[in-house]
Amino acid sequence: MEHGGGHEIGAHKLAHFAGLTFNIDTLYMTWLAMAIVILIAYFATRRLTLVPTGLQNAVEMIVTALLDQIEATMGPRGKKLAPLIITLFLFLLTANWLGLVPGLTSPTNDINTTLGFAVMVIGLVQILGIMNKGIKAYFKHFFEPFIPFVIINIIEEVSKPITLAFRLFGNILAGEILIIILGILVPMWIPIPNIIWLGFSVFVGLVQAFIFTMLSMSYLANSLKDHH
Amino acid sequence: MEHAIIVAASAIGAGLAIGLAAIGAGIGDGAVTAKAIEGMARQPEAKGTILVNMLISVGLIESIPIIAAVIAIVLVFANPFLK
Repeated sequence: MEHGGGHEIGAHKLAHFAGLTFNIDTLYMTWLAMAIVILIAYFATRRLTLVPTGLQNAVEMIVTALLDQIEATMGPRGKKLAPLIITLFLFLLTANWLGLVPGLTSPTNDINTTLGFAVMVIGLVQILGIMNKGIKAYFKHFFEPFIPFVIINIIEEVSKPITLAFRLFGNILAGEILIIILGILVPMWIPIPNIIWLGFSVFVGLVQAFIFTMLSMSYLANSLKDHH
Repeated sequence: MEHAIIVAASAIGAGLAIGLAAIGAGIGDGAVTAKAIEGMARQPEAKGTILVNMLISVGLIESIPIIAAVIAIVLVFANPFLK
């Protein structure tokens, strides 16, 4: 079924390169979000003043809030991972909000983007767990407290990247689809439901970026500890 | 005939999915928010922390209902069974 400007919901423009297929519209939006984050970081750190104003103030608020959260969740070892967490949050925030601009779509409405981030975070969790606890102790902890628990532990480890990815993807895609549908259903001269839904989507984008970051921090905190 | 069955089944499936998701999300979020407000009433100084935790919990609880909503929307508007 075709709606909303003549493109199917959930269909992507494809590009073929080196035998692989890419969703090129998602990639354009990802690069745009990256450019925005880099520009914000560049302009916020020019001519740093001790008492911040303007853009530096806003970015400092976000960074200090996240650093406090990292300190609380991950302990003193978490400082090493602070750049990753802050970049993750800023990129996901920009990506989620990009879809609210008329004419643009979020890169996170593609399962590939969110699954990529989730696999990156969980891969980091596993590798850091093996590095900090040693291979033997790490694999042994799957069998605690009883041997049959290995099934439950493996299911839990597999469900972490899946739920991380699908939570973000589902929220952002459902929001975008509803924006399109409200555009079709509501007459053009009373756009009240559209405005209300856009406002709520700003909130949802912020909350989902924060939840993804918080959960990543929580999983990483578990792998940074030495032993139970 | 087959087309009609697919459309009807998709419509019923979508309705069930979104209805049950709404019930689940409503009950879950209601339980969390009730306890959160109770906590805020008992200790107004902890309002900020409780509010942040409540929002995070609502986001987590709503993950599966939102996936159900996506499935319902896909079944109605971008049905993969109808080509």
